[in-house]
Amino acid sequence: MKWFQKKDPPTVAEVPPQASQAPATPATGTRIRYTLAIASGKGGVGKSTTAANLAFAFAAQGAKVGLCDVDVYGPSMALMTQTPTPTEMEGALIVPPEVRGVKIISPALFASTNKANILRGPMAGNLAKQLLTQVAWGELDFLFIDCPPGTGDIQLSLAQNISLDAAILVTSPQQVALLDVRKALEMFRTLQVPVLGLIETMSYFLCGTCETRHPLFGKDGGKNFAAEHKLPFLGAIPLSEALTQSGDRGVPLVVADPTHAGSQAYFEARDAILEALKQGKGLPPKGLGSFHLKWDPMPEVQP
Amino acid sequence: MSHHIQEIWQENDRTLAITWTDQQTSLYDVVRLRERCPCAQCVNEFTGERKPMEIDPSVRPAELFSVGQYAMQIHFSDGHRTGIYSFDLLRRLAG
Repeated sequence: MKWFQKKDPPTVAEVPPQASQAPATPATGTRIRYTLAIASGKGGVGKSTTAANLAFAFAAQGAKVGLCDVDVYGPSMALMTQTPTPTEMEGALIVPPEVRGVKIISPALFASTNKANILRGPMAGNLAKQLLTQVAWGELDFLFIDCPPGTGDIQLSLAQNISLDAAILVTSPQQVALLDVRKALEMFRTLQVPVLGLIETMSYFLCGTCETRHPLFGKDGGKNFAAEHKLPFLGAIPLSEALTQSGDRGVPLVVADPTHAGSQAYFEARDAILEALKQGKGLPPKGLGSFHLKWDPMPEVQP
Repeated sequence: MSHHIQEIWQENDRTLAITWTDQQTSLYDVVRLRERCPCAQCVNEFTGERKPMEIDPSVRPAELFSVGQYAMQIHFSDGHRTGIYSFDLLRRLAG
């Protein structure tokens, strides 16, 4: 059997995966150029706000964009983007509702907003996996994954089951947030998910009545963290009433007021992400990617 | 330095071969891989000590899967399937 000749080893990519036991793969017809996780160790630093604004900032440039909220315990993307409940199916797959050109899926679309999603780890991980693999994403340039805070089951199962191209870390400048983002960075390094860079949110407060940049959570905490860990610094997003209000009203700031300083900061972050992807900074050679090899207990001996 | 698998194949009855993205090729005795299983059933999670157990030298993998971009999972013929071998661990085992 040619298979076992040392001179000409077959790649396992040639071995067909078995449907029953193969790891989760994206649905047929789904082709995603970059799958990017938006993550932080700490909650409440503006991950979802950042994920939504980045998604719409990329879409504003004509990119095909998907946005998947995998925060199964506290999903917020449906509210922040006014996404309607999916009604269409494509075979066994859910067709993601499209909001202003962005395809959006969130656990909030499938559950009552007033009910808590009380799930143990394996169920939560499984739900996150389903949101990504049982949705007809179609062809996308970018799929942003809005991760829940922490370094637990969901993050682990995403890294194990989904081919994440890179992660983007989000943190406020506050020391207590940096403490947790350090753990998220370590997690991604352990799981060999490249970290594209860091976005600092709540960098300063724009009060709207004066020009002063009020550093509510300290100055340059995220920027210094990025420098210390040799991460590209992708941008500093100011906190403003316009930004928080736009989230609550369901129209991300980059759509509601593209000239606002907050929107401009997100457009700059988008350009920095594109630049980082172009340079391939921190993106190691990926090798074989996913594989599934069946062992032959009785290999033929070469004559 | 992170390493990824470029090619993986069954070398013979009990040897697994991997070529890494830095072009190093490593050969693994599959029985030794079973003995070195890093899972919580085989290694005490708190002390890091390996739990004493008999490994049948006739054990072989049944199937091997990639796990994300950092590890490989092996389902063994003795029914043991919880071991996730990170690429880092595999590089260390290659010596």
